[in-house]
Amino acid sequence: MNEVRFHGRGGQGVVTTSKILANAFARTGQFGASFPMFGFERRGAPVTAFGRFSDKPVREKTQIYNPDILVVLDPSQKASKAVFLGLKPDSMLLLNDTDITTRITHENLKRFALINANKIALEEIGLAIPNTVIVGAFAKMSGLLDVEPCCGALEDYFSGSKLAANIVCTKRGFEEVELFDL
Amino acid sequence: MVTKTKAETKKGSQIKVITGNAAAAIAAKLACPDVVAAYPITPQTEIIEQISKFHANGEMDCELITVEGENSAMNAVMAASLAGGRVFTATSSWGLVFMYDAVLATSGARAPVVMVNVNRETPGIIAVSSGQQDMICTRDAGWIFLIAEDCQEVLDLVLQAYRLAEDYDIQVPVMVHYDGFYLSYLSEGVDVPFQEDVDKFLSVLEDQPKRTVLTPGNGMGCGSHGILGGYMELRHKHVTALERSKAKFDQIDKEYEDIFGRAYGGQLEEYRMDDADVVLVGSGSMCGTIKTVIDEKRQAGIKVGLLKMRMFRPFPGEAIVKALKGKKAIGVVDRSLNFGHKGGPFYTEIKAFETQLDGSPMISFIDGIANTDITTVNVAAMIDTICALAAGKEVREVTWVSYPEANEPEVNKSGGK
Amino acid sequence: MAAKKGKLTKVLDHLKHEDPFSKGVAFCPGCGLELLLRFIPQVMGNDIVITGTPSCSAPVLLGQNNQSWHKLSYFGTLMTGAAANATGLARYYRKAGIDNTVVCFNGDGTAADIGFGNLSGAAERNEPFIYICYDNEGYMNTGIQKSGTTPFGATTTTTPKGSVHKGKNLRRMNLALKMAMHKIPYAATATLSDLDDLAKKLLKAKEAKERGFAFLHVFAPCTTGWGYAPENTIEVCRRAVKTNYFPLWEAVDGKIRMTKTVKKPKPVKTYTELIKKFAHLTEEDHQILQDDIDYEFCILGGLSVLEGECQLPVSAQD
Repeated sequence: MNEVRFHGRGGQGVVTTSKILANAFARTGQFGASFPMFGFERRGAPVTAFGRFSDKPVREKTQIYNPDILVVLDPSQKASKAVFLGLKPDSMLLLNDTDITTRITHENLKRFALINANKIALEEIGLAIPNTVIVGAFAKMSGLLDVEPCCGALEDYFSGSKLAANIVCTKRGFEEVELFDL
Repeated sequence: MVTKTKAETKKGSQIKVITGNAAAAIAAKLACPDVVAAYPITPQTEIIEQISKFHANGEMDCELITVEGENSAMNAVMAASLAGGRVFTATSSWGLVFMYDAVLATSGARAPVVMVNVNRETPGIIAVSSGQQDMICTRDAGWIFLIAEDCQEVLDLVLQAYRLAEDYDIQVPVMVHYDGFYLSYLSEGVDVPFQEDVDKFLSVLEDQPKRTVLTPGNGMGCGSHGILGGYMELRHKHVTALERSKAKFDQIDKEYEDIFGRAYGGQLEEYRMDDADVVLVGSGSMCGTIKTVIDEKRQAGIKVGLLKMRMFRPFPGEAIVKALKGKKAIGVVDRSLNFGHKGGPFYTEIKAFETQLDGSPMISFIDGIANTDITTVNVAAMIDTICALAAGKEVREVTWVSYPEANEPEVNKSGGK
Repeated sequence: MAAKKGKLTKVLDHLKHEDPFSKGVAFCPGCGLELLLRFIPQVMGNDIVITGTPSCSAPVLLGQNNQSWHKLSYFGTLMTGAAANATGLARYYRKAGIDNTVVCFNGDGTAADIGFGNLSGAAERNEPFIYICYDNEGYMNTGIQKSGTTPFGATTTTTPKGSVHKGKNLRRMNLALKMAMHKIPYAATATLSDLDDLAKKLLKAKEAKERGFAFLHVFAPCTTGWGYAPENTIEVCRRAVKTNYFPLWEAVDGKIRMTKTVKKPKPVKTYTELIKKFAHLTEEDHQILQDDIDYEFCILGGLSVLEGECQLPVSAQD
């Protein structure tokens, strides 16, 4: 089982990212479960979501303290100690950042991946909502699933021209993410 | 939509990755209620949003009443139910408390209402967080209380709730509980049955005698002034109906399996209980985590099992005694408090059966309050404590697992221990 | 004499249905509520479903154990959610295709105070039923306590005449006007001295509920709680109308119209002098009460002509 922790802010689609990934895993015959943890704040507040992806049914209903993978949608949290808390050895980090020179290292990181998801999202859907780009980038970085089930999963959340645009986002995320093995 | 292979799924269903709230909304849609009352409250809101969407798209042919408060939600569905309708509503926390008088009236009138309550704290400290305190606040309301562990069970329990509430021999409202945040917002694969199978499952009700309903011009009244013998007669009938609902729930669970291929064990789900020496008793979403930890502990040679409470009202005392008899030690996990008692509510109620359990020692764990996470580490620590108890060591009767300050020895006012 | 007889016949013409209530019922002698309660099904039909709450109407309306004082379908319910109960009934009947007239029958305590939220909610949603408030200006069944419709000056057991405070030192709320402001298909006031007017309004309400919410505010004095002779119930109603203390009007889709115009309204004192709960009022107190009545009547009068005279700004018409 891979335990993934998502860090972002309300309005970035953090929760949707984790949902789409759980959906995509289910489409490959695997199992996914994800949930966010937030109070009654709305846009702008920090949001954490948890995803568990496995070839066996996921039973745990707890938050994730020792993630295998970190996904950071909000670049302002990239230096936050809280983000790296409990990170497992040989783990991965996917960062959404407009600064493409950013490089993150950590003793427990074996792979760092960088994507300017906001830029792609702006180009494709006209809004700086990075979530569907992140989904594709996640697939590529983790190697846990291909881009097709990710695009398929989008059908449960979007329709029409929005679906088409978001599929492009996911594909571009998959293709354009930069991987750095540490 | 991803369809499992035929070996994995029964015919006519599909796997959808949805939240616990969406599972509840879809179950409500599949039950085809006549009247739905909707009022938002975190973390329940997604349910009524989904239902409103189904209604707006013509997928749900019901009277949707967007009430001005939860009190009206319960009052509206109670009356619609007594008039003969199938009804649905959902709430949480303060919402449940705000409808409390109507919750009592509904069960007193034996209106077969089905309601989802997404568990959330209800104290004076405004807590937008998980906990079963709202359920405990209403446990003496005369309803049947069922508790789900995961999104699949949310869907399954809502459908089973209709069979139980509307059964001619029962006619008691049913509340389906599941943990807010941990289940309400959890997205996972859910096997969503097809309408025709749900219709078949619920059609048993149509073959039963018709219950008495309030119809214009038929000279029937409900809600008269009950007094002395007349009142006691109705109360006693209510109590005996609740008793009957235990075996009925077991039976419905079996019939559900025949159609949908899933069974949970009725009132209680037993996990690795057969050869267990020590037992954790839990309910709701914590049980998934407990099962995982039990598997790990088993690998280390510790014979531990889980007794999952699926039914909380009526209290499944007989089944609990049967399951726990002869166990070396028992730990009960509560996600709520039993004000006025040190131990949690489930603990206190199971403790009442102590003499029938041949003296198995029992301890109480309080955890998961106000969103504190019932972690694998916490569960492992609970199991270790129960094992220590089984080995005859002295352990605390009540442990607040995530709040160690509560577990220090009591210090009296003069400063001495 | 002939003219008087003619008048009586006019009222009786509206009584097309059986009185479903037992001949002797558990109301106080001279109770205004009893007359109203017997009147409603005789005008609207015995196939109404009537709902009631703990109140003066409860002992008779709700029956006891499996016994009842009447032959109507009824639903005994809570004061907090009466309008929501009626909503549930009416909506289910609509869904099931069952013809229905649901009458949600409540005192002013339920309508104006504890149950106002759901009354207003039902009006906002334009629920298809009739809400009747019988207003006896207080919580009479529990022993005469102040409610939102208790008028200025009136003594109740929670606004007693003491050495410092004398009666209610607040004005009453105008429930009917508040309801009319929801722009529901029908809202009206009525009372027991004008039964012909009441009967017509009941029938209009029945017709209006086909389009949605109908509200009737019926002034129903309480001999026991107010302190007047039981035989004076109708006279109290009559003077309430003649002093404009309780004007009779209706609002169809929010359009207000007086159904009875009092050409020369009498001073409110001619009304209060019949009633013990006002016995302690000074001249000054009476003036406050009179001013309040005049204020309400002016608003009502203003609203009733508003429709014709009010011009929208040009920009708003574009």
